[in-house]
Amino acid sequence: MLRVLRIIAEQVAEHDMDSLQLISDLRSTLEEQIARAQQIRALPAAQLLHRPAPEQWNTLEVFEHMNLSSGIYLRNLREVFDRKAVKLKFNAVFTPGRLGAYSVKSMTPRADGTIPLRMKTLGKFEPRKLDGASSGSIDRFVTMCEGFLALLERSEHTDLNAMKVASSLGPIVRFRAGDAFRFPVAHQVRHFRQIERVLRSAR
Amino acid sequence: MHIVRRTMERYVTLRDEDWHRIAPAWKEHAFSKGSHVCRVGEVEQRFYIVDSGVQRMSFPHDGEDLCVGFSYDHSWSGAYDSFVSRKPSRFDILAITDSVLWGIEHGALQELYSELPVMDRFGRLILEELIQGRATREIEQLSLSAEERYDRLVKRSPHLLQLVPQKDIASYLRMTPETFSRLRAKRS
Repeated sequence: MLRVLRIIAEQVAEHDMDSLQLISDLRSTLEEQIARAQQIRALPAAQLLHRPAPEQWNTLEVFEHMNLSSGIYLRNLREVFDRKAVKLKFNAVFTPGRLGAYSVKSMTPRADGTIPLRMKTLGKFEPRKLDGASSGSIDRFVTMCEGFLALLERSEHTDLNAMKVASSLGPIVRFRAGDAFRFPVAHQVRHFRQIERVLRSAR
Repeated sequence: MHIVRRTMERYVTLRDEDWHRIAPAWKEHAFSKGSHVCRVGEVEQRFYIVDSGVQRMSFPHDGEDLCVGFSYDHSWSGAYDSFVSRKPSRFDILAITDSVLWGIEHGALQELYSELPVMDRFGRLILEELIQGRATREIEQLSLSAEERYDRLVKRSPHLLQLVPQKDIASYLRMTPETFSRLRAKRS
């Protein structure tokens, strides 16, 4: 609990953002992740299956974990976009919500590389308790990121503040659409660091 | 030598120029323990050669998974009947250990069959082998006692007992897990 309070205390209020800049930043991060995922897909299978320790994820399981968690945001964003996006006018400013700002912050590594809030993975995001992971997990990850990119395209004509998107915790905890992009992308950045660590340990 | 070439050359001799045509069609796929190579209801996209790991072939029946076989090092894997019929698979193929498989897609295999006589021959020879395997298993299923089925398996694939959970082997031998562990205790 103390740790959580410290994280909230260390949090600086997030300022308004230029929507187009935000969209462009998210887009380049996703494109980098797609390119890296495709390189990783071509690595030897034995390397993709390598576990740094018996209880830790291999590279494929990290990808599947991202599919399980980001997939919820992509589905929920799509659903809200289809219902509302065309009815809204473009808003050049995005103001992160309190919850969104906090969640993204807790995902983003500090300057010294440490992670503010380490979490135990919930069962519904644990590939080993579900359907496992395979090379196909990387293919599905790429398709999913392309899904986010397609929605970002549409984001240039709508309002990322006005649309509310259910989080992976359910409809009670909702993000502004802008945060519903920022959070999964930040979560993926964090897991790409883990992937690079896992792959390095396989050599 | 490449695992795919080595496996194919158990059946046919490949000239280097054949191999250069064949090799790009085979791709490596990794399956973590617990993931499905193919699921009931999906159309099997590939025919696989196993590089490493063990996979279980089963089908759901009355709330249970009935195990019909295993694939492991240098054998074939995947839901072959769905692969050839292009109809939804009636079988689940599950990686029960981390597995590396080399797979070829249906279209690519058909192309190679029509272009290279040696591929066509390879296809025929593995089918002939699969049919002999089926025939043997049918006779064993219908005529051997539980005890004899157990002994055959131990003789033919002793390493399976180390690699595969007991309940899967028991299901494969069509006996209860209790009968299986009794037999096992008796034999050791």
